[in-house]
Amino acid sequence: MINLLPLIRNECLKIIKKKRFYVILLILIVLVPMFTYAQMRIAERSRDKFNSDWRLEIQQQITDNENSLGSDRIPEEWKSYRRIFVQQLQYYLDHNVNPNEPSGVTFTRQFLDNSVSLFIPLLIMAIASDLVSGERTTGTIKMLLTRPVRRWKVLFSKMTALLMFVSLIVLSTFIISYLISGLVFGFKGFNVPVFTGFQISGDTVDMSGVHAVPQWKYLLMQGGLIWYVSVVVALLAFMVSVLVRSTAASIVVMMAALIAGTILTNMASAWTTAKYLFMVNLGLTGYLSGTPAPIEGMSLSFSLIVLAIWAAVSVIISFAVFTKRDILN
Amino acid sequence: MNDSKWTWRSVSLISIATTLVLITGFGYAVSDVLFPKGDIPLTSLPQATPAPENGAVKSFKVVALGDSLAKGTGDNTGNGYVKNTVAGLAASGVSAELLGNMGINGLTTAGLQNKLKDAGIQYSLRQANVILLSIGGNDLFRGADLLQNGGAGNTPAGSSVGTTGETGTGTKPGTAEGKHSGTGTTPGASGEKETNDLTPESLLAALPEAAERLGKILNTISEINPAARIYYVGLYNPFGDVQEMLVPGNQAVTAWNNAAMDIINRNSKITLVPTFDLFNNHLDKYLSSDHFHPNSDGYKRIGERIVQAIQ
Repeated sequence: MINLLPLIRNECLKIIKKKRFYVILLILIVLVPMFTYAQMRIAERSRDKFNSDWRLEIQQQITDNENSLGSDRIPEEWKSYRRIFVQQLQYYLDHNVNPNEPSGVTFTRQFLDNSVSLFIPLLIMAIASDLVSGERTTGTIKMLLTRPVRRWKVLFSKMTALLMFVSLIVLSTFIISYLISGLVFGFKGFNVPVFTGFQISGDTVDMSGVHAVPQWKYLLMQGGLIWYVSVVVALLAFMVSVLVRSTAASIVVMMAALIAGTILTNMASAWTTAKYLFMVNLGLTGYLSGTPAPIEGMSLSFSLIVLAIWAAVSVIISFAVFTKRDILN
Repeated sequence: MNDSKWTWRSVSLISIATTLVLITGFGYAVSDVLFPKGDIPLTSLPQATPAPENGAVKSFKVVALGDSLAKGTGDNTGNGYVKNTVAGLAASGVSAELLGNMGINGLTTAGLQNKLKDAGIQYSLRQANVILLSIGGNDLFRGADLLQNGGAGNTPAGSSVGTTGETGTGTKPGTAEGKHSGTGTTPGASGEKETNDLTPESLLAALPEAAERLGKILNTISEINPAARIYYVGLYNPFGDVQEMLVPGNQAVTAWNNAAMDIINRNSKITLVPTFDLFNNHLDKYLSSDHFHPNSDGYKRIGERIVQAIQ
């Protein structure tokens, strides 16, 4: 235990010195203004159209969605999605709460809802995929393993450092998107109510559990779920990085899996066993906001368990392989 | 060395603190999603009607309500009579804006009665000073859906082009009564089979009840917003080009329009905008390829009519 802490410290410093974390911050600082600008244009347009009365806008949105429900050309799954959406909008409208109250906090909430299943995992990969395979690519792994330290301790220190940075990445995504969008939309909005607790069964939404949550608390809960997703993705990427020798290959493997996930969530509702794949389960924040799950039979506890199993298996594989494998060349 | 000591300290402290916060949030989230406690906030939409503007600066705030005609189905420019009306008003130099178009394809009078109970619809109506309404066509020609579908099947080229990408008339939800009924999976399948033949009797059968509902609808709207002017768009006979449907269709539509006129004459805030004469004998010019809805020229004409009625 005594010599574990210096190892973790060493790994943390390596991550910082390699400037991977700065790259992530840079990506956020470049991309978030783009999303903010796009959001601003949308807000401007609807302000022009609806006389800056959000209630009219929501009512119009409800009507438009109801109209598309009548169309035969729209697949059944989209229809049930829209039916649920309409019911939620109606709930917001009936209770005089603007679901899109423009503010930096609202932007952060929506941005994170959208980025949980692809964008944040990609940021995590930037650090995780390199952690072991990077040492093998450069050959420094031999230096590391010739020291009188048990191999599992080396791997454990790497994993701990990774988990520390996962938290930092989640935190900095929140902070950067709040600060940048706040410049445009204003920094207020922490106490705006957000509804949560929509229980979806089939086409209908059970409103009995719906309650208002102040937005700061919603962000906290969202952060927790995103953190869970990020940890799972980090551990998976970590395993791939142990298994694969080159960093490039390791990034490609994970990226392919993640992108396959987004494609599958868009079309896999017919193939129900796909729900056991980890990448379909990444959208945990959808359970909070009441978005219907991509595949029938998925629920928060189901997704949490599936993700936990994937994470646990990948940790086991990582340690088993890393402690046994011969380091050649 | 000192430098890295500080980075390590700050990184480790911040990350541990963050992790703890995030785990707390995770706990909150899981318990919140798994065991939600309903607590319904008691706020509701503001009930006040905005004060009517004093005469000098006249600006029209338009809200449209009703069936596929209000929505503009059949108009391949997507305007419908609603946008044409607003554009026409704006062209004549008064300021006019469209606050919302609540037209829903296939809405019947019964469906509209339900819609009017929605707080959001009521709110929209209260913000307006001009309310455009078109309803009744689906009550009267309900049986016509089947005829439509048959006809469209025979001429596939004609049926798919003109409609603006949403629906034809063939997809009226049988349960137009509202969004809360999750049963609209096979729209209209039930209601249509019963009335295979479009006879004058079947057309007129629905009329008394539907006319009564129309009266109630108009009353409800003027109760919701007593200050607004309401313009009801009368029906036309879309089947004038079908030989055996010409006379019974005309009779039914005229009966309906008379009934509507009867109701409307009792309230000075409501105006009936006739369309029957516009379309009579000009169906090929003003009807879209689904042979039921107006095309963009037809909507333009209706829009002109409404502008004349408003001014």
